[in-house]
Amino acid sequence: MKEPFGGYLLNIAFRLLVPFTVVYSVYVLILGESSPGGGFQAGVVLSFGIVLGRLIMGEDCKLFNIKTKNTLVIAGVGTFIYSLAGWLTLFGGGKFLDYSFLPFAAEHANELHALGILMIETGVTICVMMTILNIMDAVVKRSDDDGSAE
Amino acid sequence: MQIYTVEAALLVFLILITACIIYCQDILSCVMIYSAFSFCAVLLYLMMGSPDVAFTEVVVGTVSTIFYVIALKKIDRWCK
Repeated sequence: MKEPFGGYLLNIAFRLLVPFTVVYSVYVLILGESSPGGGFQAGVVLSFGIVLGRLIMGEDCKLFNIKTKNTLVIAGVGTFIYSLAGWLTLFGGGKFLDYSFLPFAAEHANELHALGILMIETGVTICVMMTILNIMDAVVKRSDDDGSAE
Repeated sequence: MQIYTVEAALLVFLILITACIIYCQDILSCVMIYSAFSFCAVLLYLMMGSPDVAFTEVVVGTVSTIFYVIALKKIDRWCK
């Protein structure tokens, strides 16, 4: 966005709101297995900070300056984390995504289940966040370069 | 009994909001009324006992509204 939406009120609200949204997204991610929430919601809430920063501050926002090429790469890294959890269980002797066979030290199988679910939801979070940033980059760049529909 | 009344009122609101979106001439107004549609759908999902779906609807409604407004910022706002 070359022309920011921002004004005095929006800048102040941005500085106050964004830390809370980031902390809330981590809360949603961690408690996603036993309560409403999960990887998708946490990723979208986490991307609000960057989307709002680009909307309000425009090109001057150096706070979360992630380039479009890097968004695709990091989304792939998120997918890799998801599949890594599955492959670890395969190497541990079980089936794909069978969390009881994760090669970590734990007293009960429940801890391994929680660890595996947290691992795949972290991957989903990273992938969803970067995909939303990529979609936003596509929309903004097209409308900026072509000079819109006029 | 009262909960059914509220649920019926929300369903009527959904139909009214959809009619408003269809007959509205301004695109930006359509986007804003669509966010109201999303809000009513969230309340309905909560009453039907699925907070997970409601949370997803909140998030997706917010993101889609942001994307629509970004796309509308550069093009002509009024329909012909």
